[in-house]
Amino acid sequence: MTSEAKLVERSRAGDRASFEELIRRYADRLYAVVLRFVADGDEAEEVTQEAFLRAWRSIDRFEGRSQFFTWLYRIGINEAKRRAQRRPLAGTIVSIEEVPIDDAPDWSSVPESRVEQADMRLALERAVRTLPPDYRAPLVLRDVEGLSTRDAAEVMGLGEAAFKSRLHRARLAVRRALDEYFVEAEGS
Amino acid sequence: MIRRFLERRRFLRDHRFAHARLSDYIEQELPPSEHRRVEEHVGICPQCRRVLATLKRTLRDLRSLPAESRPGVADAVIDRLRKS
Repeated sequence: MTSEAKLVERSRAGDRASFEELIRRYADRLYAVVLRFVADGDEAEEVTQEAFLRAWRSIDRFEGRSQFFTWLYRIGINEAKRRAQRRPLAGTIVSIEEVPIDDAPDWSSVPESRVEQADMRLALERAVRTLPPDYRAPLVLRDVEGLSTRDAAEVMGLGEAAFKSRLHRARLAVRRALDEYFVEAEGS
Repeated sequence: MIRRFLERRRFLRDHRFAHARLSDYIEQELPPSEHRRVEEHVGICPQCRRVLATLKRTLRDLRSLPAESRPGVADAVIDRLRKS
């Protein structure tokens, strides 16, 4: 398999076939990431296409100081955020308030299978989706996609300390949203 | 009374310190002295213990969220690139 660096180098020289190989490697991953920022699958596909087209048009400016996919993710997430700003807000934005709910149950040991149940997974997906985009991105990149802190911070254009601070607040906000979910579930 | 006031003040300082570092604590990214300080506080603070346990669980659950996929995304991008 040709290395990513080689494919990028050839793409920079105008070799479209090499760029198409990069598309085959990263399109599905980019689609999964941007889907968490836009309204639906159709829009996620449009954003994915737009991101690759922009990357192709400006690949001669990609200097290789970062990895190709972190550069690509940055283009894709910026495009997704730009579109999201044009749309009226749907639902409540989850609070970045960190204070836990005192009387929430300790749900840390509910069976793992609960996550596969539609209601809890939906609560988790909803909590992620309603984070403000600048907090959602670190969480999606680091915790859902599994990027390293360094790569995810690079996608966001942040230093590692600033990135980690934002990530921690996002995690606490999602955790708190699950507190609310379990308080409601207990009450119903 | 003064001793209790000082203990309370220290507890609250440690509480804020620990709360701000739980992610780094979970990921073992704190210097040893800070790791110890968080660990000691979590040992005596039921609220931080619960937040720590549920935060760990949140991270596990986030990592198990499935990546949504759609067949043909790469082909559609390539088609559009060729037409551009």
